[in-house]
Amino acid sequence: MSSLTDRYLAATLGSVPAHRRAEIAPELRASIEDAVDDRVGAGEDRSTAEREVLTDLGNPQLLAARYTGQRLQLIGPAYYLAWWNLLRTLLAYVPALVGTVVGLVHLVDGDGFGAIGPAIGTALSVAVHVAFWVTLVFAIWERTGDARHLPRWSLDDLPEATTERQITLSDTVAAVVVLLFTVGVAFFPTQQLRFGDGEQLAIVDPALWGFWLPVLLAVVVAMIVFELVKYRVGHWTWGMVVVNAVLGVAFAVPVIWLLLTEQLLNPELVARFEWLREGDNLGTVTVITVVSIVAITIWDVADSVLKARRWPR
Amino acid sequence: MVSDDILRTHLQELRRGTVVVASLIALRRPDYGYALLQRLSTHGFPVDANTLYPLLRRLEEQGLLTSEWNTEESRPRKFYRTSDQGESVLRTLLDDLAAVQTAMTGLIEGVDR
Repeated sequence: MSSLTDRYLAATLGSVPAHRRAEIAPELRASIEDAVDDRVGAGEDRSTAEREVLTDLGNPQLLAARYTGQRLQLIGPAYYLAWWNLLRTLLAYVPALVGTVVGLVHLVDGDGFGAIGPAIGTALSVAVHVAFWVTLVFAIWERTGDARHLPRWSLDDLPEATTERQITLSDTVAAVVVLLFTVGVAFFPTQQLRFGDGEQLAIVDPALWGFWLPVLLAVVVAMIVFELVKYRVGHWTWGMVVVNAVLGVAFAVPVIWLLLTEQLLNPELVARFEWLREGDNLGTVTVITVVSIVAITIWDVADSVLKARRWPR
Repeated sequence: MVSDDILRTHLQELRRGTVVVASLIALRRPDYGYALLQRLSTHGFPVDANTLYPLLRRLEEQGLLTSEWNTEESRPRKFYRTSDQGESVLRTLLDDLAAVQTAMTGLIEGVDR
């Protein structure tokens, strides 16, 4: 038999498990030869006939897959939604979280803006890892597992109805109160800690009134206005998600920078608290505050993205 | 006018499954792969070789076909035949096909009226 059929058989059987080759090979060869003979009998040239028969049989890997019932897809329909939902959830939080932690570690080491590079680099590489490993596990599961073990969908999985209002009056009131409280406690000059000896000290370094406090106050006022706009619209839009993120960053970045460079707290106030001056206690308080601010900002942005997605349009 | 692609897809969907029924009927008389392919084509069941050959193996694994090598002729060939189990499955499939046809007829008449 000519080499073309031999090569076709070899290519087909190469994709078939060894123990099944012996049963498939002679039958497939006979079928090919039958078809070729038939065409030659009808007056065709043998080598042309062979080419046409093999072309009709198509890609040998595809034929082998049909023989073995092998799945020609990485993630099939039974697993696709479970895979996609898990991947989406993980990618929404994990890379940002790990990137933030790495960035903070660099910040604490005193890298300043040099912390942004490693943070983004780590977030990207974590995203690639998450995507790869989740997909690999699902691909293996699809080939070895039983799709019936997947959690079944039930009515309880339906998302909450969001057709009325996404932003309730109580949400808005609470948010505005928190913002006013921030202004009052932290920034307002008359809000001071009163000590036993009658001395009053501002929490925030009064030197910041030169530039940073007015800027931060402006941001907080913008946030309050934004809360009111948000209530009026009644739900999240993508434009609002962007504005919210910009405002969040505009507040968090200066505050974090001021904290890390020890400019935020009133030095006289720090001097009054012995505990703060002991060891690295001030540094610990700073890191905890910075991590909290970053976490709250990221949570706020992620929450707005989720709600904007959920809003039907 | 609906595109050829759409039409082809719907026809394929409609035909899918009839190849199994046709093969089980045809193999009441034992036959080998290529000859079965020819017989099915002549009787209006055009089927691709790369669909039919793997299908025959699958039906055999499911016990609906039995097979036997015939080495008497110049070329050894594997002959398939519909098994008893295959015959009972075939009856069910044919009944269902008839039920579909009846239901379809009823629906057409109901709509016309």
